[in-house]
Amino acid sequence: MSLPAPHPIYTLRGAGGALNTLHFRCHGEDPHLLFSGSGKGSIHIWNLNSRRAEKVVEAHSGSSVTWVSTLQSTDTLISQGRDMQVCLWDLNEGRSELLESVWTGSVGFCQCSLLETSPTNYLLAFAAQQTEEIKIIELPSKNPVCTLTPKAKVGMVMCIKLWKTNSGLGPLLLAGYEDGSLLLWDVTQRAKLSQVRAHPEPVMCLTFDPRRLRGISGSSEKKLSSWTLDSQNNIQLQDDVTLVNPGVSQLCIREDGRILASAGWDDRVRIFSWKTLRPLAVLQYHTDMVLSVAFSDHQDPRQRLLAAGSKDQRISLWSIYNDGAGKG
Amino acid sequence: MSQINDPKVAFAYLRPACVLLTKEPTVANVETLGEQLKEIHDASLQQLQEYVLFPLRFVLKVPQLKKEKLVQAVAEALSYVLEKTCVQSWDTLHDLFSELCLCLCSPTDPGKPADLSEELKSALLRCLDALLHAAYGDIVFKLYEPIMLPGLGAAVSLLLALGEKEKSREVQAAALRCLQSLILHCDCTQEHVIPSSDERCSVGSTMASFLPGIAMAVSRIITGNLRQGHAVTVRAIKVWCGSVGLVMEDAQLQSSKACETPSQELGRIGQLVVQRAPEWVKSTAGKLSVLLKKIISCTSAHRHWRVRLEMVELADHLLVACSQSLRECVGLLLEALVGAVNDEEPKVRERFVVIEKILADVLSENLHSLATSLPRLMRTSNDQKKLFVLKVFLGYFKVLGPLVSVVLNSAAHLERISKALMQVLELDVVDVRIVEERSHGESLERSSGSVGSYAAHIPQKHFLYFTDEKIFSVLMEICRTLGFYGNIYLLTDHFLDLYRQSLVYRKQAAMVLNEMVRGAAGLAMATGAQCLDSGVQGPSASQEDLKVAAVSIMEEYTSLTNWNLITTCEETDGDRQDQQVTENTSFLNSNIWQLCIQLEGLACLAQALGRDFRPLLMTSLYPVLEKAGEETLLVNQAALNSMMCISQACGYSSLKELINDNSDYLLNDISLNLQRLSQHPQAPRVLTVMLAHSDSSLLPLIRDVVQDVLMALDLSYNHSAALFCSVLHALMKALARWFPVSRCRTGGSARSKTSTDDFNCRQFLLDYQKQKDLAEGVGIEVDDTEDLEVPPASEGEDAEDICGPDEKSELPSHLIITKEVAERCVHLLSDPRLQLRLKVLEVLELCVYVLSERENELLPMAHRCWPVLRQRLTADDPLAVLRAFRVLCTLGEACGDFLRRRVSKEVLPRLTSSLTRQAPVSAKAGPVYTHTLAYKLQLAVLQGLGSLCQRLDLGEADLDAVCEACLPYLSCRQPVRLQEACLSVFQHLIQVDPDTFWFTLNELHCPCSYTPPHPDLPPIQLSGMGRPRDEYSDNFYFCLQ
Repeated sequence: MSLPAPHPIYTLRGAGGALNTLHFRCHGEDPHLLFSGSGKGSIHIWNLNSRRAEKVVEAHSGSSVTWVSTLQSTDTLISQGRDMQVCLWDLNEGRSELLESVWTGSVGFCQCSLLETSPTNYLLAFAAQQTEEIKIIELPSKNPVCTLTPKAKVGMVMCIKLWKTNSGLGPLLLAGYEDGSLLLWDVTQRAKLSQVRAHPEPVMCLTFDPRRLRGISGSSEKKLSSWTLDSQNNIQLQDDVTLVNPGVSQLCIREDGRILASAGWDDRVRIFSWKTLRPLAVLQYHTDMVLSVAFSDHQDPRQRLLAAGSKDQRISLWSIYNDGAGKG
Repeated sequence: MSQINDPKVAFAYLRPACVLLTKEPTVANVETLGEQLKEIHDASLQQLQEYVLFPLRFVLKVPQLKKEKLVQAVAEALSYVLEKTCVQSWDTLHDLFSELCLCLCSPTDPGKPADLSEELKSALLRCLDALLHAAYGDIVFKLYEPIMLPGLGAAVSLLLALGEKEKSREVQAAALRCLQSLILHCDCTQEHVIPSSDERCSVGSTMASFLPGIAMAVSRIITGNLRQGHAVTVRAIKVWCGSVGLVMEDAQLQSSKACETPSQELGRIGQLVVQRAPEWVKSTAGKLSVLLKKIISCTSAHRHWRVRLEMVELADHLLVACSQSLRECVGLLLEALVGAVNDEEPKVRERFVVIEKILADVLSENLHSLATSLPRLMRTSNDQKKLFVLKVFLGYFKVLGPLVSVVLNSAAHLERISKALMQVLELDVVDVRIVEERSHGESLERSSGSVGSYAAHIPQKHFLYFTDEKIFSVLMEICRTLGFYGNIYLLTDHFLDLYRQSLVYRKQAAMVLNEMVRGAAGLAMATGAQCLDSGVQGPSASQEDLKVAAVSIMEEYTSLTNWNLITTCEETDGDRQDQQVTENTSFLNSNIWQLCIQLEGLACLAQALGRDFRPLLMTSLYPVLEKAGEETLLVNQAALNSMMCISQACGYSSLKELINDNSDYLLNDISLNLQRLSQHPQAPRVLTVMLAHSDSSLLPLIRDVVQDVLMALDLSYNHSAALFCSVLHALMKALARWFPVSRCRTGGSARSKTSTDDFNCRQFLLDYQKQKDLAEGVGIEVDDTEDLEVPPASEGEDAEDICGPDEKSELPSHLIITKEVAERCVHLLSDPRLQLRLKVLEVLELCVYVLSERENELLPMAHRCWPVLRQRLTADDPLAVLRAFRVLCTLGEACGDFLRRRVSKEVLPRLTSSLTRQAPVSAKAGPVYTHTLAYKLQLAVLQGLGSLCQRLDLGEADLDAVCEACLPYLSCRQPVRLQEACLSVFQHLIQVDPDTFWFTLNELHCPCSYTPPHPDLPPIQLSGMGRPRDEYSDNFYFCLQ
């Protein structure tokens, strides 16, 4: 009954470095784009129609690009590099001009998190110079909003996720730390709401579904740990998912909340049902660690793609569980 | 006032007036009767018709009573009666007709009108018209019997004269109206008798006698007086149209009745009867076309729109009724029609639209019947006839022009036409050669060498039903015209349906689709003004439509089931029954042709879309390349052609550019397909083709895929190693081409050249002196300075080392790839399959060649592959030994003395012993021996041994052994080439150590005696001196020279 293993519908190659981060931009008109940040410091903008790199932005003077994203409202690209800069780029009309850059001072691998509060304003959370410190600033004004430093010793910030609650509370921030702890912060109060030790090893990645108030985090061990937020904003640990091989670099939940993808150090992308966390598929193509996964934001759900970027310098694109008949 | 309805009452009422009129024929009496008649009901009047007519006719008959007023009154009364009643008796009709004509004509000449008042003439004409309308269906046609010809002729000429010469417009019009009635072309609102086809035919025959007169006179009327008013002109055109339409009607002419000979009873009258035989039709049509030309030139620009409208009607009527018989006039008529398209009067234009439809109906009807009979015609008639029929077929499409799409909307038409094309285009697929011809990759290299001027030879398609190339090109033009005018979506869908429907239609449907798309893009289309609607220019399909159609066609062509066809018989089942073989052959043959047509199709799509095809390369280029790597010659060449076309259409300057620009698409597919090799076994082939056609700029991408290839190979050593070996071979060949090694080879050969050409004694002595000095320690200080320079270099190396072990691998990627490949070769060299081993040896040789650039990489590799290579050299099939020896030579060339000890210890003894063993065999063998493997092996060893010895710098003992083994081959009994090869060995040996070998040779055979230059020196005594001349002498002498 098991279906044959799926194959990527396409692979993008020529990035010239490990693919640390991927970001789709397919909601608008053509062309649909995929942004990738490479270990060699370049951001490739892939046109998904021609399946070629439309443009390559040498963003961080050769330092590894750790995170890229775009703003919904404008044609602005944000990238974070290991040269301790976060840069904003204007992509209007085929340009790629540097608009702003923010110095973070962080030497870690923690990816930024972006929250658009209004069409013109957005919050950016990033790991700061002190290893356990998180800074949040408002852009484009660059006004600092707050600095969040845990009192307990939890080690370096590994991953963060900023989101806005429906309950009228200000933006909240989830952060994973080196000692395996997860902390929930209230940004407006600048106070820690709850803390839990989700992993014995550093939290490598986390993702959170604000609609279900449920999240999942991965570490360098064989276990994914899922958790929920209760009404008092306490993190409640839930089921674990045990993997075959240890190490997850990134987790991503599809917009429709049906499936979860993990980027494994074992060169594989694994697909889980987000509801039950049942493993659904193993996507095997890459020949080195998978570093990033992303789901596209196509308006037509049938066109939705999954992209996986690997250390083998390739990006694979997959079309999976798109027909609505998937069991996820 | 109510009418009298009872016949009896009516009779009683009319009687007195009738009696009175008979007695006293006066105007007053006639008028009284006329008044009374109006009170009688039609039905009663019909019963009393004969009775009433009698007195009136009586008046006309009596000559002395003929006063104009009276006759006019009688005519009016008669008209009234005739308009109200029917004439049922032939006699009445006949008599009245002649009486009226008599009244109209002059007493002297029945063909000329009498000099009467206009009122009287119009009254009489009205009466005549009423009579013709009143005649019953069963008697009216008696009027047209041959016996009536004279009377009828007189009437016709009378009417024509009236119509032409008369001053009064009313009379003219009335006369022409009468003529219209006579030729059954009346356009009034009354009911008319509808003739059966037989009756119509007989009327036509009769009127044929008068056609020349009518046509000429009427055309004079039409073209005559411009001021006569449009009403007359319109009537005249109607008469012309009606008479020509009646006499020249295709339906009549095709039936046999048209040219029945008149019966003998007629006597002289029989001479008047015209037989409408084909010759008559032809000459008449010629005359008519002259008249028509005049008419059209006069009317097409007429000021009154009714006249122009009438012309359109005429053209329409004649085109519908007489398009066959008036073939000469069709052009004129069409012109008249087409001219109306842009008429300023909307009514004329509207009429045209209606007519266009009618015309289209006619043409499409013809088209349909032609399409129906086409397959039969194609089977039975000769090429000349076929060509004509197809041209007619094409002509219909061209004439229909944009209406083609309307015609094709009818399912019946589309079905017929497509089926006809399917049957006509059936291919003949029994040629065995097509299956057997194999490409061996030469074409690949050939094309890569001279891109642009290259055009692969494509054999012609053989069709079942015709051989003439012209027929094929007309057929293709038909397809293009279809695409040009037709609805591309409909056509694509329909023909793709046919394509899917049955294997029988598949090839034809694909051919049609290919040309259709080209036509839809307006390619190779003579955009003619032949079509009906000449207003529209350019193809009907937009670029966007075309793209959609192209994508669907391409997807169908390249889908797995339609693309991965079997074109070669599996080698394993070679021993089958003959019959099976032939069946199988035509099956394979059919597949091959299908692939070729589909490949051509992709090229056609590219041509149709031009640069817009570039995005489609994403999916289409890979399949084409897949076929370019195919072994079957025909497919292979079709694919190459297709590639050329595509690269041209997409605006690439060469194949190389095409492949380089799209290598990312190709490599993506290759890499994906390598992972599912069982479903896509051709993936390695595509890579082979790519490598053959591209250049080193591809290397960064290639490197990525080579990893995939090697991994796939590692995973499937058993199944697809052979396939992969060919890829590796292509890869290494490409690398060798892209990165030619210049250093070691040319240097080596140049050195040997100078030394062989002229052995310089002085240089030798100088060298010797230098060696001696060195040995004695002279000039050692020079070496010291050299030594001093070394340390800084090593410091630099240390500095590099500091950068860390990761940075150390700065090897160029082609060398990295080569190393990886060589590694696989080492594994594969011990494969049990001989063919595979041979292939691997070739790959290994290339690896050695490429790696020879870097000794640091080459030597470890040589070390690793030595054990297996030794196995090949010493304990393998002779074929493998041969190849392995070649590898050894290359290896020796590249590594020099690195292999000296191994060769001398492990390989040389075997080689020399085998040479020694074989020498007597080859010396005694006949001429056939040169075709044996043993001979080839001997030859190869002898050819390579010399340079090998030289490069490896072998020791004296080894050289002696070599010399020992080779000496027998200097015998003139050996095959010539062996002798030559052996001589080369000695030449090399002599270079290594001239003195020793001079001595050795002279010991054996000394051709001349040496006298010492000074008598004090002892005489030279060599053991070879003074020997008799024997089999070795010549070659020894040659060596020593």
